[in-house]
Amino acid sequence: MDVPLPLIWIVKIVVIFGGLVGTAALMSLAERKVSAWMQYRIGPNRVGPFGLLQPLADGIKFIFKEELIPAGANKFMFRLAPALSAAPAMLTMAVIPIGGTALIAGREIPLSIADVDIGVLFLLAFSGLSIYGVILGGWASNSKYSLLGGLRASAQMISYELTLILTILAVVALEGTLNLRAISENQASIGQWNIWTQPLAFVLFTITMFAETNRHPFDFAECEPELVGGFHTEYSAMRFALYFLGEYCAMTVLSCLNATLFLGGPSVPFWPEAPWFIGVAAFCLKAGFFLFLFLWVRWSLPRMRFDQLMRLGWKVFLPLALANLLVTGAFISFGAH
Amino acid sequence: MLFYLLSVIALLGGLGVVFSKSPMGSVLSLLLTFFALAVVYLLAGFAFMAAVQILVYAGAIMVLFLFVIMLLNLGGMGTRFELSAAPLSSSRAKLAAVVAAGIGLAGLIAAQRTSFPALPEGGAPERIDDIQQIAIALFGRYSLPFQAVSLLLLVTMVAVLVLAKRRGKESAQ
Repeated sequence: MDVPLPLIWIVKIVVIFGGLVGTAALMSLAERKVSAWMQYRIGPNRVGPFGLLQPLADGIKFIFKEELIPAGANKFMFRLAPALSAAPAMLTMAVIPIGGTALIAGREIPLSIADVDIGVLFLLAFSGLSIYGVILGGWASNSKYSLLGGLRASAQMISYELTLILTILAVVALEGTLNLRAISENQASIGQWNIWTQPLAFVLFTITMFAETNRHPFDFAECEPELVGGFHTEYSAMRFALYFLGEYCAMTVLSCLNATLFLGGPSVPFWPEAPWFIGVAAFCLKAGFFLFLFLWVRWSLPRMRFDQLMRLGWKVFLPLALANLLVTGAFISFGAH
Repeated sequence: MLFYLLSVIALLGGLGVVFSKSPMGSVLSLLLTFFALAVVYLLAGFAFMAAVQILVYAGAIMVLFLFVIMLLNLGGMGTRFELSAAPLSSSRAKLAAVVAAGIGLAGLIAAQRTSFPALPEGGAPERIDDIQQIAIALFGRYSLPFQAVSLLLLVTMVAVLVLAKRRGKESAQ
């Protein structure tokens, strides 16, 4: 039986994007469940078994809620901004290889939507665009809390994007390719994982991940005691949910990227010839660990101050990332690698 | 076909930059133009250029533009930026328009006259956006102009700082 190629593409797109949005929905439940467990509570458990259908109930509620647009807001931008925030985060998933090559019905199928040579650049370019959703949403709301939240969030994202790019660049220089699939295939066994050769880049990337997604302890965009809700203070109903969807999608994509760059993607430790579905499961486990880390840190660390955040970003992380890149370059040039 | 559609979008974006009443609208129109240009690069096979275009222009520079506009416009976010016609009719503005038109015309003539080297036999090279080729050209053959350009940027930055400082001093006195 020969399956036409476009059909395979469509199935891949549906499965991977469905997986991403499903993960984002489950994260909204996990956020509440994990926080409940860490505070010795039970958490949502009414809708479905273990509360698993809670995201669905939330979604239905969001859709049927009344939508408010504040007076004096720029209506066009106000409506556009949440989509601008969510869409780039979802698009970037397209280049992430969630597994090696699957053998289904005698046909080899690479397990990523798009296998492009400039995968890393594509991902960086589009994840950089999610700033627009935040900054425009904060501006268009015509509210001082929203504007301050939007300004803070975008200042923070721009500052930490530099560190993010420099840490990724160190890995790219080491691997000699911008193709994410090639990067993950180069780390087939556990000894070749980039976490061993780039430990500093791994630590920096993991911390920067929190700042890039505006998560605790860097969540100044929605610093409740100061800014009510930050850039999405004025949003309601589904557009509010879209911001959250975008945030969870960005978290998921960055977790997947971290697993791909530093933890060998779908490679299984000590089992090099593992079948492809085990690889996918390993990949999900690695990414899932980082997703859990997001929640774990949220309930363990206090929020920083904004000036501390900026000092950390520009005076500690940026020089460290630059030095790391320099040392990596020196190692490559002098052939010690 | 796609190219013409993209050109129309890019041109509309460009017109939007000039004719938009609010600076925010201008910035978003410019963003639209950059995106259309990125897709044009992609059509021509320059995937790397397209990604860099989005990364640098759309992702970094336009965000800074937005930042400046938001910070300057803090007082009246909902109000439109009032543009009076007076400065546009001054002789300086006319001179600027003439110079800009002249540069554009010169560019057009130059593009018409220049004969682009014909493609090698068998059409375009297979990997036109090979990053290694770009890097070798940038850091090898064109290393000196490349560094000169960065020096120029540095000079501009220092000049802006000096100007900003001077204005700050004047307003303090």
